[in-house]
Amino acid sequence: MYRVDYFAGVINTLVMIFVNIAIWKAIYEADDNLGGVQLKVVMTYIALAFLMQCIFVMEDYFIESKVTSGLISSDLLKPISFRAYVFSYNVGSSVFRVLMQLLPTLVISIFLFKLLPPFSTEMGILFFFSAVLGYLVLYCLNFIVWMSSFWFYYTFSLVTIKDALVMVLSGALIPLWFLPQWLFNFVKLTPFESIFFTPISIYLGQVPAADIKTAIIKQVAWIVVLALAGHLLWNAAKHKLVLQGG
Amino acid sequence: MSLIEVRDLTKDYRLNVKKRGLLGAVQSLLVPEYKLKRAVDNINFSIEKGEMVGFIGPNGAGKSTTVKMLTGILSPTSGSIMMGGLSPHKDRKKNASRIGAVFGQRTQLWWDLPVADTYDLLRYIYRIPEKKFEQNMEMFNDLLGIQEFMSQPVRQLSLGQRMRADIAAALLHDPEIVFFDEPTIGLDVVAKEKIREFIKKINAEKNTTMLFTTHDMLDIEKTCKRMIIIDQGTIIYNGTVEQIKERYGRSRTLVAEFAQKLDRIDLPAGVELIDQKDNKKYLKFNRDEIQVSGLIAELTSKYNILDLTVTEPEVEAIIREIYEGGIDFDKGISGDSKKSLSEQYCVPC
Ligand SMILES: Nc1ncnc2c1ncn2[C@@H]1O[C@H](COP(=O)(O)OP(=O)(O)OP(=O)(O)O)[C@@H](O)[C@H]1O
Ligand SMILES: [Mg+2]
Repeated sequence: MYRVDYFAGVINTLVMIFVNIAIWKAIYEADDNLGGVQLKVVMTYIALAFLMQCIFVMEDYFIESKVTSGLISSDLLKPISFRAYVFSYNVGSSVFRVLMQLLPTLVISIFLFKLLPPFSTEMGILFFFSAVLGYLVLYCLNFIVWMSSFWFYYTFSLVTIKDALVMVLSGALIPLWFLPQWLFNFVKLTPFESIFFTPISIYLGQVPAADIKTAIIKQVAWIVVLALAGHLLWNAAKHKLVLQGG
Repeated sequence: MSLIEVRDLTKDYRLNVKKRGLLGAVQSLLVPEYKLKRAVDNINFSIEKGEMVGFIGPNGAGKSTTVKMLTGILSPTSGSIMMGGLSPHKDRKKNASRIGAVFGQRTQLWWDLPVADTYDLLRYIYRIPEKKFEQNMEMFNDLLGIQEFMSQPVRQLSLGQRMRADIAAALLHDPEIVFFDEPTIGLDVVAKEKIREFIKKINAEKNTTMLFTTHDMLDIEKTCKRMIIIDQGTIIYNGTVEQIKERYGRSRTLVAEFAQKLDRIDLPAGVELIDQKDNKKYLKFNRDEIQVSGLIAELTSKYNILDLTVTEPEVEAIIREIYEGGIDFDKGISGDSKKSLSEQYCVPC
């Protein structure tokens, strides 16, 4: 079962990259210097975005299923922090995916899609750092959505809306510089930009060296704000929690 | 100060009131309406270290709700719980390492893991020293026979096996306080007895404080000296098991087997014929009004009697009568819930 999952994950990522790159190639055939960005750069952007997404997968219904089934009581009976437990569960499976899915997919993509190397070694390191921050931004955002299960029990619609927003606004599917200017300006005010767009732009050298610091501080600030909101929600949820069953 | 102090504890559940019909559904969505259901109503009690207390009451009385609040997984609506200086809900993590809980109706084990792996995980979570872990595993195996299903995943265990595994898991870290919520539910007589013996032994050897919820009065009679009876969220009795027998178990039944079938029988005043079968007659009387020896002497002088037995009512019968409202507690024994009963009654040692 795990083996099937594993191959499916690798192939899924490769197909997604392939299809999206094909679309962008078609667009570039009509206009070969879209917004002043070369096709090679867009191709690398798309490949990186999907490679990151294959690690940034989180269990959206982990908390919900514990709340609706009442099984959360077994976790709360133990002398462990529930939030730390959920976090390590997600990080654990992401680390597992780095080893099992990302590495093979990355190697294949380098040959298949002719990925550009990072703009410079320094940018490569900063990219890595910024990607970790991006992961945390997404985690904190997800945590807020997950916590809503304490109030609504079923979170399918909220999770779906969240997924759609992340897909479009975080730069997971479309490089944000292709968005209409007004929308781009709006996204800059939201945490979405910090998830995929900031790290990838740093990798591609699209963020001027002077602005990198601001971009990273912005990511950290979003983590703090979202984590704080999550913390308040958790405190409210503890009192709200009604354990189902005998 | 007792180890567990419960003061004015109350829990209200919020129930959604769903209206019928399409219009009603829309209305409920826009302006949700709630009804409060008071599951636990202003209860007070305390438990000393090393005590073993039975906690009984009819279905829906609020027992599980109380146990959930005591374990810190449910927050009280009002009132307070102090457990050796900690609040179970506010200091949940700290308190959790000192307590253990068994919920008979639901396992605390990991469904897909083999039993042995579950214990390894628990050892890690509770930071149980290697030596203590091995000692406890050996002891639990001797008393509960868990070795027999150690390599099976939890979902494959029979109810009795699962319960034994659950009990061992709850006690692995030598908790100071253990809550049992129906640990004998659905078990056969032998398995029940085994679990009672085990619980008694742990209580005696480790001086563990225990609260024991059950619907089987034999569990209580065999393990607990004190019991708390809760009904509709309020405590209606808090005292020794002996005391309740003493007070309300005054009737005796004399079963007399006569040499021949008698159509009618002369009975002294206060003795009531409650049943007859073949040559046997069941005679009920109050122990305070009629002396057994006198009654027997009178009967044997008048009739030819082959066999005689005297029985006292079981606790179960008394409890049944209490649940059905047949017994009115006098304030002397039941007390009102506003006064702390453990202060009124010396706690059995
Ligand atoms: N999650 C919940 N939401 C709303 N009401 C609840 C909830 N859990 C329990 N109740 C109500 O609270 C009351 C007390 O329930 P509780 O489970 O504490 O009873 P109990 O004494 O353990 O009963 P039993 O002997 O059947 O296990 C019941 O009337 C029940 O309907
Ligand atoms: Mg119950």
